[in-house]
Amino acid sequence: MAGTKILVVDDEASIYTYLQKKLSKLGYTVFVAIDGEAALQQAFQHLPDMVLLDVKLPKLNGYEVCKRLKAQERTKGIPILILSAKTQSREIQEGLQAGAHKYLCKPISFPDILKEIKALEEV
Amino acid sequence: MVPFPLQKHKKFGILGKLLISFLFLAIIPLLVLGYIAQKNLIRMGSAAMHRAEKMGLQNLRSAEQIGKEAIEDSVAELDRKSTEAIELRTYELAQRVADFLYARDKDTLVLTALEPDPQKYLQVYQSWQRDVITPGTRPLQPEARTSPPVVSENPENRQSWRHLSPYNFPRATIPLYKEISFVDLNGREKIKIAAGRISSQLTDISQSENTFCKAENYFIHLKNLKKGEIYVSRVIGAYVKGWLEQTADGLRVNPKSAYAGKENPAGRRFDGIIRWAAPVFEQSGRKIGYVTLALDHIHLMEFTDHVVPTEQRFTDLSDGASGNYAFMWDDQGKCISHARDFFICGYDPETGREVPGWLSEKTYNEYQQSGLSLEEFVKQLPPFRAFSLQKKGSPEQMQAGTIGLDGRILDTAPQCQGWHNGTEDGGSGSFLIYWSGLWKLTTYAAIPYYTGIYGKSKRGFGYVTIGANVDDFHKAAIATKQTIEAHIQEQGENIRAETNQTQRIINDSSRHTQWAIIIVVTLAALVVSGAAIYISLQITRPLKKLTAGALAMSQGMLDQTIDIESQDEVGQLAQSFNTMAAAISKVDHMKSEFVTIASHELRTPIQAMLLSISGLLEGYSGQIDTEAREDLELAREGIDRLMRLVNDLLDLSRIEAHKIELHRTLTSGREIADQALDEMKSLAAAHHHRLISRVSPDLPEVEVDRDRLVQVMINLVSNAIKYTPKGGDIIVTAEPQGDAVVFSVADNGYGIPAWAQEEIFKKFFQADSITSQKVGGTGLGLTISKGIVAEHGGTIHCLSPLPPDQFPDLPLGGERQGTLFAVYLPLQSAPGSNPNSL
Repeated sequence: MAGTKILVVDDEASIYTYLQKKLSKLGYTVFVAIDGEAALQQAFQHLPDMVLLDVKLPKLNGYEVCKRLKAQERTKGIPILILSAKTQSREIQEGLQAGAHKYLCKPISFPDILKEIKALEEV
Repeated sequence: MVPFPLQKHKKFGILGKLLISFLFLAIIPLLVLGYIAQKNLIRMGSAAMHRAEKMGLQNLRSAEQIGKEAIEDSVAELDRKSTEAIELRTYELAQRVADFLYARDKDTLVLTALEPDPQKYLQVYQSWQRDVITPGTRPLQPEARTSPPVVSENPENRQSWRHLSPYNFPRATIPLYKEISFVDLNGREKIKIAAGRISSQLTDISQSENTFCKAENYFIHLKNLKKGEIYVSRVIGAYVKGWLEQTADGLRVNPKSAYAGKENPAGRRFDGIIRWAAPVFEQSGRKIGYVTLALDHIHLMEFTDHVVPTEQRFTDLSDGASGNYAFMWDDQGKCISHARDFFICGYDPETGREVPGWLSEKTYNEYQQSGLSLEEFVKQLPPFRAFSLQKKGSPEQMQAGTIGLDGRILDTAPQCQGWHNGTEDGGSGSFLIYWSGLWKLTTYAAIPYYTGIYGKSKRGFGYVTIGANVDDFHKAAIATKQTIEAHIQEQGENIRAETNQTQRIINDSSRHTQWAIIIVVTLAALVVSGAAIYISLQITRPLKKLTAGALAMSQGMLDQTIDIESQDEVGQLAQSFNTMAAAISKVDHMKSEFVTIASHELRTPIQAMLLSISGLLEGYSGQIDTEAREDLELAREGIDRLMRLVNDLLDLSRIEAHKIELHRTLTSGREIADQALDEMKSLAAAHHHRLISRVSPDLPEVEVDRDRLVQVMINLVSNAIKYTPKGGDIIVTAEPQGDAVVFSVADNGYGIPAWAQEEIFKKFFQADSITSQKVGGTGLGLTISKGIVAEHGGTIHCLSPLPPDQFPDLPLGGERQGTLFAVYLPLQSAPGSNPNSL
């Protein structure tokens, strides 16, 4: 578990700050990107073990980020958890089609997020 | 959602109105015009026809009138000419008779100059001869003029050349006198020539019985004659009887009667004389005796017997029946010459007395009552007393055959009085008399012979009269009249035939017009109906589109665009509709977008809160004491309620906008029921409820959005849990029912009052208005459930209180009224197939 690299992509400071703080405290290496382009850049740069990806992002939305990561050889194996306030089944469908491992609807409790992360680690 | 009023009774609305309007605007005026036109045509035709007929008949009448007047004029003119001609003929005849008689005066005087010597007397007797027409001597030849007609040699004379061949009647030359004699001063005959020879039978003529018919008494008149004076007697002869018999063809002369020309040619003739006498003086002046000459009466008859006052002019054989003949009367008015010899007055040769003439029946009766002899009665009768055509001749005299015409007493024949009056001054003339059923012209002319007794009046010897049938004068004109009348009748028939033909033509054209009107009106009706249908389609087709669009909009399909190209009011309406629909759609879209954005935007701070609080509660931010945990739990509950509210609002907005997305998969009803029961297990346990599942084993699979139906069932079960007193029973069933699957959730809870059983499906229904239980909820659950079920084409119902026999194992009573919610899901369903869902 220690050293697992998690890229948190969210433009909401209250969310990414909390996640970075708590996950880091639990031993994860956390990278944060606050827009789609930064997310891609960070992903290519750090090649994280998983990505917590918001959909509604500045510059490039989460679906696009997901697609592009899945399109690249280096990044296509990285599991992506979409974490979105968009809860319509159409939106969920789009996220999964873009290549997300799982689509989590906001709001979700921290323990539940942690549960998903741990589940991915075991894979 | 309010049911949209459907277009059932609008189907014929506009079309019907248009048809009625067009009918009133086009067809009825057309019919009225057609009717008026036809009526006028008939009226005009009839008027023209009647005018034509009237004019034709007027023309005919005037032709008739003109013809009548012309004929009348012609008749009058012909009558006048004929009358003049006959008058002239009568007058000339009278002159000739007078000349003839005067010639007899000369004979008499010649004889007085002769020495009384039988031989000399015989000589003069033989020289005094005259021709008479002798019809009895040969077969009767009515066409006496048989010689070929003479023609004009010079063409210039041929114009209206009219030639009459001579009248070749058989004639005989006979002595003028029956006898001539010399009588001495004592009345003894000294010389007498009779029957063509010197007679030896000399008598005393002073005695009447020795005279002709024993009727003569001339001797007494001779004594007073001076030298040169002449005595002339009246006509003396034996009366010859005659009998007129009434037959079917008119009066017929009985053959035993006297001679009557054509009527009785074999009868005995009237044999009479007129005696001339004059004294004979010697050289010395001494009267030595008298000469007498007895003129054979036949020579007088010859003047009148052959005259015919018609085109025929003359005849050898007179015809009394024809009415066209001449006759003669003496100065006293007695008939002395007639076609019928029995009409000539005469004497009884036995007695020498005059045979009384024919009287009327009335006068004859008078005679019979008079006690006088007929002779005496007649003698005392005033002349021309009460003559009248109304009187009839006495049948006794007819039977006796004594019907001589004595004009003075023949009171059945007013014309006798007329002639007598007319000849009073010695003149001539004519008048008409209606005699024997015919208008007869009768002319008269005095015979200006004034010798002896005849010099007493200007009437002279007497008068010649001619009778003629007036109708014969104007036969030609009458024939013309008949021709004209025939023409007029023919013309009248022609006019009537023309009128009938015209009537037929008018009827035909009327019928044709009627047909034309019917055809035109029918065509017009078709055209008008076509136009009405076209126009109504032009209006109703877009209206129907608009109606359908509006209906679709009312069902939530707000993206409506009506495709109407027309630029008219309807097009404008469609454009307005489209604009409105676009605006509504935009607003709706904005609303949905707002809800979506709002829910998304709400989730982000909630997420932040949830992260913090969940992290705190789980100890990721260090250990917390019990009181803090309890406080955080409250915060956590608040977040959950807030999230439910956000989710419900989002669902509601989707349902209302029909934007709920169903992910239909073939799912068994059991799966749905089980999952809902599973999720509700802990909540039911918290309320100490018994949660019973009764899912039918042979439940068919349904193609539904599994998650959504689970959501519905959870909603129903959670409501049952919440509104049932602790320790209640909740039974969830699922069973097939026809072409549907029915899920139900029954409880023995507080129940729902009847008034609220519809209300509870409305959004934000406040449950605390029907129950004192404070259960916390958004007030949207049933509304969303109903919407989801409706999206599947199903329905959801509420039944409360629960009938006890529905679930016998469900204890009811007291506050446990019980409620049943049933979800009816058709196996075959279409989304939005139930528009009355919300």
